[in-house]
Amino acid sequence: MPNSAENATKSNVLHAVNGYQDVIDSKQILEKSGTDFTENKWAVANTIAKLHPKRLQLKVVEIIQDTPTTKTLRFESTSQSLPPFQAGQYINLFVNIKGVETARPYAISSAPQTRGHYDLTVKRVEPGYVTHYLLDDVKVGDTFTSTSPMGSFYYNPLFHGTDLVFLAGGSGIAPALSIIKDIAARDGDFKFHLVYASSYEDDVIFDDQIKELDERFDFLTVSKVISRPTENYKGLTGHLNAKFLTQLLGPMKDKMYYICGPTSFHNFCEDQLASLNVKSRRVRIECNGPPKNPENLQGWPAGLIATDEVTVTIKGKGSFKARVDEPLLNSMERNGYTTENACRSGECSLCRVKVTKGSVLNPPEAHLRETDERYGWTHSCVAFPVEDIEIIV
Amino acid sequence: MTHFDAIVIGAGNAGLTAATTLQRGGARTLLLERHNIPGGCATSFVRGEFEFEVALHQLSGMGTDDKPFIMRKIFAQLGIMDKLEVVHEKELYRIVKPGKDGHDIDVTLPASWTGLKNTLCDTYPEESDNIKGFLKLCETLTLECFMMLPKVQKANDEAMLKASCPNYAKYGFSSAKAVLDEFFENQELKSVIAAYWCYIGLPPKDIQFPDLAMMLYAYAAFKPCHIKGGSQAISSALLESFMEAGGEIRFNCGAEKILTENDKVVGVRTETGEEFSCESVISNTSPIHTFNELLDTEKTPQQASQDMKSRRLGTSAFVLYLGLDCSPSDIGVTAASNFVIDSIDEEKAYETMQGIIDPTHTMLTCYNYDDPSFAPPGKSALSVLCLQYGAPWEDIPAEDYAKTKYEFAEKLIDHVERVFPNIRKNIEEVEVATPLTMMRYLNTPGGAIYGFNQNMQDGVLFRDRIDAIQGLYMAGCWNGMGGFQPTYMIGESTGRAVIKKLKKAAQLKKEATANA
Repeated sequence: MPNSAENATKSNVLHAVNGYQDVIDSKQILEKSGTDFTENKWAVANTIAKLHPKRLQLKVVEIIQDTPTTKTLRFESTSQSLPPFQAGQYINLFVNIKGVETARPYAISSAPQTRGHYDLTVKRVEPGYVTHYLLDDVKVGDTFTSTSPMGSFYYNPLFHGTDLVFLAGGSGIAPALSIIKDIAARDGDFKFHLVYASSYEDDVIFDDQIKELDERFDFLTVSKVISRPTENYKGLTGHLNAKFLTQLLGPMKDKMYYICGPTSFHNFCEDQLASLNVKSRRVRIECNGPPKNPENLQGWPAGLIATDEVTVTIKGKGSFKARVDEPLLNSMERNGYTTENACRSGECSLCRVKVTKGSVLNPPEAHLRETDERYGWTHSCVAFPVEDIEIIV
Repeated sequence: MTHFDAIVIGAGNAGLTAATTLQRGGARTLLLERHNIPGGCATSFVRGEFEFEVALHQLSGMGTDDKPFIMRKIFAQLGIMDKLEVVHEKELYRIVKPGKDGHDIDVTLPASWTGLKNTLCDTYPEESDNIKGFLKLCETLTLECFMMLPKVQKANDEAMLKASCPNYAKYGFSSAKAVLDEFFENQELKSVIAAYWCYIGLPPKDIQFPDLAMMLYAYAAFKPCHIKGGSQAISSALLESFMEAGGEIRFNCGAEKILTENDKVVGVRTETGEEFSCESVISNTSPIHTFNELLDTEKTPQQASQDMKSRRLGTSAFVLYLGLDCSPSDIGVTAASNFVIDSIDEEKAYETMQGIIDPTHTMLTCYNYDDPSFAPPGKSALSVLCLQYGAPWEDIPAEDYAKTKYEFAEKLIDHVERVFPNIRKNIEEVEVATPLTMMRYLNTPGGAIYGFNQNMQDGVLFRDRIDAIQGLYMAGCWNGMGGFQPTYMIGESTGRAVIKKLKKAAQLKKEATANA
């Protein structure tokens, strides 16, 4: 009984401190009216699960062919009701392709006000892997697991203002559509200019829907731009360069710009806006996967070629050969290893692993914390193993 | 099944210091963390060019190179002191009460014990004798608490208490408000001195006076500080030290059950379904979660149940993390830590904390004021917060959550913009955390950030250690004080206590084997 003896000691001497008895009395009063919290069992877990469940169980209920290269997959939940999201956010969809467990993030193209389903709009990527599976093999009734909605690419009323421009390239239209529908449901004197770039006329996703929205809402202006038009195409053509944007948008400075599309589109648009003196705080860019052609990145070891292979050892579990130009997470997954992941673009940090031997190349996409590199922590979704490494997963 | 001497549930401050102490002390330790980074509150996150500090406002207990204090010793024992770069704050805080024409109160207290006295006396000359008497009391009371009180308790000697801790005998269980009222006439002055009540979460009438006295003295005499890289740098360094010593960490892996046999800990099952056997479990999560949900016993142990009945859930916080495209001076920042108050009535402020209503007391911390490396060049990293209980947020329908969150965030910005204008128009990055965000990342009931309400009877002096389950230990803000220094310390001391127990058990076993 060492414990009660200790407490006896405490009370014996402390009772001589002024006010001791008052504290004891107030404790007893609280004790009488209080509970041991068992009436709220699992309240925390249930509250969190309403807003941010770790996983969603989804079923494909409809597949809509948007263009020859694009489909929208409509998902309903088979378990709890779908959590709310902010227009522009994505979910990370887990897939199993011939035994390989991997995942890809897709922006939700349906509106946040639509609570019964999420639409994911998928455009074929070449050479491609997951998009081919989703477009060619998935059918109505198939079930999936995903993360809940995530990401920081969304309309933020605290500072985005009401004068908005969205530069969308290809499937980058998916979050734009959700944001347009969301703005339509908000109060406020909004202006929203959608500048939507596609390569070909028959490749314009949501063409009819956007036309309809354009006719219906005064706040919306749509500029459809085709970069490789057929001879007789009458609409806007070309690239979204500085001159083109200035002519289209007028004074540039105080608007909020959203950019979503392929990486090359991001980089191009960002440069154009910068050349027009648009502050980076007025530009929001959706993350878009690991960098392509990492061998062109600063810091790539001299003499190392993209097709080179190194050995990746997962401490205590095994090892495999990996190409140096393939993101670590991808090669791990192809070899049967995995880690939590979501954005697969370097931002969310869920896939962080610790490199204990050798080193990886961290591209600018990796939003590492200041002390991460010092201790070998890396975001495996965008890290390239440029030499033999050992990691802890 | 893999066996560990100790399994630590949760890599918050206390979990990290407990695990590191255990592993470095020779106990084979597994650390389980449901998120993907170490630290709990003591973490950071990246948005654009900014890395935002989640929770640390002013680290106490470090002291300076010349005048080191206890946390340096503890960090050295944990093997991380040489990895930390300390940045000292020059001011304790600036406290402002905006008025119609200029500010009704605008006082900046320096981080120096004599400087504090001089500033207060210059600002409130009619009370200078009272100020001197009050600060003298804070100083002697702090020294009594640190140096003498443990000895008095050990000796259990009333005469010794009266002789060596006369101030504690008189004021030990007084409320902060009672002592402030005894010393001062000027209500404003009382509010200026009591501003740190926000770090405890209850108005001065419910705070044990020594808590406020020690905070004032320790912060002023030993200086508040930051660590380069933020509190994440401390968490990451602790994890590194733990791993270097051979400790095992599992991220994205919460505990699902604490397994017991005959009221003794035998292992832990994780949410991924893995089971580990162990001698002891150190829980860095709340006793509510530990005893009511994690423990595999049919009912909550009577002792824990009884203890919790006199506890009340503590406050959470609503926080804005702001990255601004302007320098601190552009918005008028002249101190790193700032309190903006609308009223000198802290009890009124406490009422506003119960609902999602206009805040009267907010705090603004500018992280790159004392060291520019905390934000990109020419920019500013801020947090703006008010304390708020979690309960009202739990009732908001999921679809209204985002809207409610942004509406309240606007109020907070409006509140501080009266002192720090043009925040809104310079925003480059912003993230909003509500009490539900705290709940999500800390897994605490009500999103509590300091554990239970820290009123007087909540203190360790009035609590038994809950030992109903042999081998189960609690370490964190729920069974001691909240905040960084207290949680680091309680984890470290719990780690040491567990090592002692483990060694004793091993010794007994050895003797039993020898005798057999």
